Amino acid sequence: MNVLEVKQLTKKFGDFIAVDNITMSVKEGEIFGFLGANGAGKSTAINMIASLLRVTKGEIEVLGKNIAKHGKFAKMNIGIVPQEMAIYEDMTTYENVYFFAGLYGLRGAELKERVIEALAFVGLGDKHKSYPKNFSGGMKRRLNIACAIAHRPKLLIMDEPTVGIDPQSRNYILGSVKKLNEMGCTIIYTSHYMEEVEEICTRIAIIDHGKIIAEGTKGQLKAIITNQKNIGIEVRSAENLDRSKLAGIAGVNQVKVEDRIIKITSDSEINNLNRIIQQLMADDIEIRSVEEHEPSLETVFLTLTGRSLRD
Amino acid sequence: MKDTLWLIRKTFLSTFKKPMNLLLYFVFPVLGILLATLIHSGSGDTELRMGIVNQDGGRQITQGVIDAVGRMDSMLVSEIEENEVKDLIASGELDAAIILPAGFAQSLIDGNPSDLKIISIKGAQVTGQLKAYLEQHINNLASVGRVAQGNEVKFKTLYENYQKNGFELATEKIDDQSINHNKTNQTIGYLLILMLVSASSLSGILIKERENRTYYRLLSSPVNARTYVLSNVIVNLTMMMLQIAVTLWIMITIFHVDPGIPYWSMFFILVLFALVAISLSLAIVAFSSSSSAASGMQNLLLIPTSLLAGCMFPLALMPAAMQQIAHFLPQYWLLDTFSHLQQGVSMGELSLNLIILIVFAVALSLIAIYKFGRNNDTRSYI
Repeated sequence: MNVLEVKQLTKKFGDFIAVDNITMSVKEGEIFGFLGANGAGKSTAINMIASLLRVTKGEIEVLGKNIAKHGKFAKMNIGIVPQEMAIYEDMTTYENVYFFAGLYGLRGAELKERVIEALAFVGLGDKHKSYPKNFSGGMKRRLNIACAIAHRPKLLIMDEPTVGIDPQSRNYILGSVKKLNEMGCTIIYTSHYMEEVEEICTRIAIIDHGKIIAEGTKGQLKAIITNQKNIGIEVRSAENLDRSKLAGIAGVNQVKVEDRIIKITSDSEINNLNRIIQQLMADDIEIRSVEEHEPSLETVFLTLTGRSLRD
Repeated sequence: MKDTLWLIRKTFLSTFKKPMNLLLYFVFPVLGILLATLIHSGSGDTELRMGIVNQDGGRQITQGVIDAVGRMDSMLVSEIEENEVKDLIASGELDAAIILPAGFAQSLIDGNPSDLKIISIKGAQVTGQLKAYLEQHINNLASVGRVAQGNEVKFKTLYENYQKNGFELATEKIDDQSINHNKTNQTIGYLLILMLVSASSLSGILIKERENRTYYRLLSSPVNARTYVLSNVIVNLTMMMLQIAVTLWIMITIFHVDPGIPYWSMFFILVLFALVAISLSLAIVAFSSSSSAASGMQNLLLIPTSLLAGCMFPLALMPAAMQQIAHFLPQYWLLDTFSHLQQGVSMGELSLNLIILIVFAVALSLIAIYKFGRNNDTRSYI
C-alpha cells in the first residue's frame, strides 16, 4: 500500500516553477530518501505534501485520500521534523511536546502517556522539566523529533534532522529513525549527508530544478549512472609497473598510480580482475590488497545533477 | 473549537508566565492613573496669599478696603512693609501684593481715587479677580466721595450707611468636576496608548512564531491558519477587556476619581477601541516581515498618533492644523466621545462617534486579511 502518492505535482511562484510535474510514491514501511541541492524544489514539495503550501497543479494522496478534500485526515497522519528547530524556548520539554501533541486532539491520560513515551524515545525522559534554551544542539534536535512523533504519525517527514550536531547525537537520531521505521512508521528523509541516506534509506528520489530525475533503490540508482567500476590495488612498490600493458587489458579505461595504490577504471560488465592481477605478477609487483569499489551515491548525485548536494 | 481552546490556553499560559506582560497590562495603566492624579493634584481650590503695604496709616477707610480684600474667598491677607514685597513674591511666599499709597483714603473722600499698585509675577491668573473686585469696591467708595463733595463727616456717614446696607450675595459652592474629568481623560489617554502597545505585543506573537518556526509546526498539525489567528485575537481581546475593567475599577474605587460617565458605558466604548487596537496590530503584523520591522512600524504609528489625538495632553493646546489631523485618528474619536459624555450628551447622540470607531476596526481588519491572503508561502496566515 502506498502511504503517499504524488501525481503530476506542480508549484509555481509567479513565472518561476519550483516543482515541475513530479510523480512519485512512498510505500508503507519505507524509509524514502529525498535528495536535492538547495533550491532544487525539495522543501517546496515537502511543504505541499504537508499541506503548508497550496498546490498549483496535481494531486497528493495520503493513505489513499486526496489531501485537497481530506486535509485534516492527512495532517492527523503526518508528522514533520523541520530542518530548523520549531520548539518554544520558554516552555519545558514536557510542555513543548504536550502542547504540540494536543493539537492532534489528544487529551488527558492518553496525552500524558504519549508525551512521556515520545520523550523517552528520543532519550529525553529525564529532562521533562528542563528548558530547551539550556540544551545542546543535539538535544534540541531530539526534542524537535519528539514533538513530531508523540501523536504516532503513519508518515514522518524528516527534513535534515541531523544538521549541525555531534556524532553521538547523530547516531542516536539515525538509530531512532530505524527504530521508528521498525515500529511501522513510514519515513521521508532528506539530508545533505549522503552516507546517512545510503545507510538508512530503502528507496531514494533525486530532485533537481523541480523535477525528479531519478528514483529507485541505491543499487538501481547506481546502475543508472555508471557502467564502470573502480579497482584499487595496494602494492609494495609500483616501480616495475608497465602501464601500457595494463591499459591494454580488455575493459580497462584508465590507470593511475597514487603512492603505492594503482587505481584502475574499468567497464563493469567485463570481468578482467584476474587478467589485471596476472599482469602485475608478471611485472614482479607484490600485491598487498585488492578492492573493487562501487560508485558512491555522491558520485551518482554529482553525475546526474552536475552539482554537489551542498551547492 | 477544541483546537481554538487549546491554542488559547497555551497563549494565556505563555502570557501570564512573563512578568513583563503583567506589568504592561495591569501595572502600567495604574501608573498612568497615578501620573494623571499627580499632574492634576495642583489644580484644586487654593488660597491666594496677598501682602498689603499700607502707606496710608491707620485711616478707617483704608482699613475698610483691606478688610474687604480679606473677605474675598480663598484670600489670605497679611500686612507687610514695602521693602519686603520683592523678596516675598520672588521666594513664592506671597502670590501678589497691593500697595495702598499715602493719601489713598483722602483721594476716595475727594471722589478722585489715587492709583494703587498690584504686584505679582503670576499675572492675570492671580490678579484678575482681585483687580475686578477692587475696581468695583473703590469705584463705589469714590461715588460716595463725590456725593459727600469732599466733606469728611458726610463721607463717614454715607460710608457707614453704605457698609450697613451692603447687599448680601448668597453663594452656593458647586463641586468643580473639571479636575475629575481631566484626570479621567488623562488616564484614558494613557490607557489608549497602553492598549495599542498591548495589542501589538500580543499580535507580535504571530511574527515571533513565524520567526522561530513553531508556526510551521502548528500549521502542519490539523490546526489551520484562521483558527490560529482567531485564537490570538480572542486572547488579545480578553486581555484588553481585563485591562480596561481593572484600570477603570482602580481609577474609580482606589483613586476616587469620578469620571462623570457610567462604568459600563466607559467599558463598552473602550472595548470598541480594543477592537481597533487589535485590527491595527494585525495590519502591522501583516505588513511586517520580521519582529524588528513590526517594532519599527509600531514606534512610527502608535506614539505619534496618540500624541496628535490628544492622549498625552489636551488637543486644544495644539495648532488648528494639527487638530484637524486628529480627526483621522481613532484615539481622537474615543476621547471626543468621553468628553461629550462628561458634558451630559447622551450615548445615542454620539452614535456617529461609535460608528466611526467600528469603521476603523473593520477597515483595518480588512486590510490585514487582504495582506495575509496575498502571502503565497508557508508563512501566510489566512
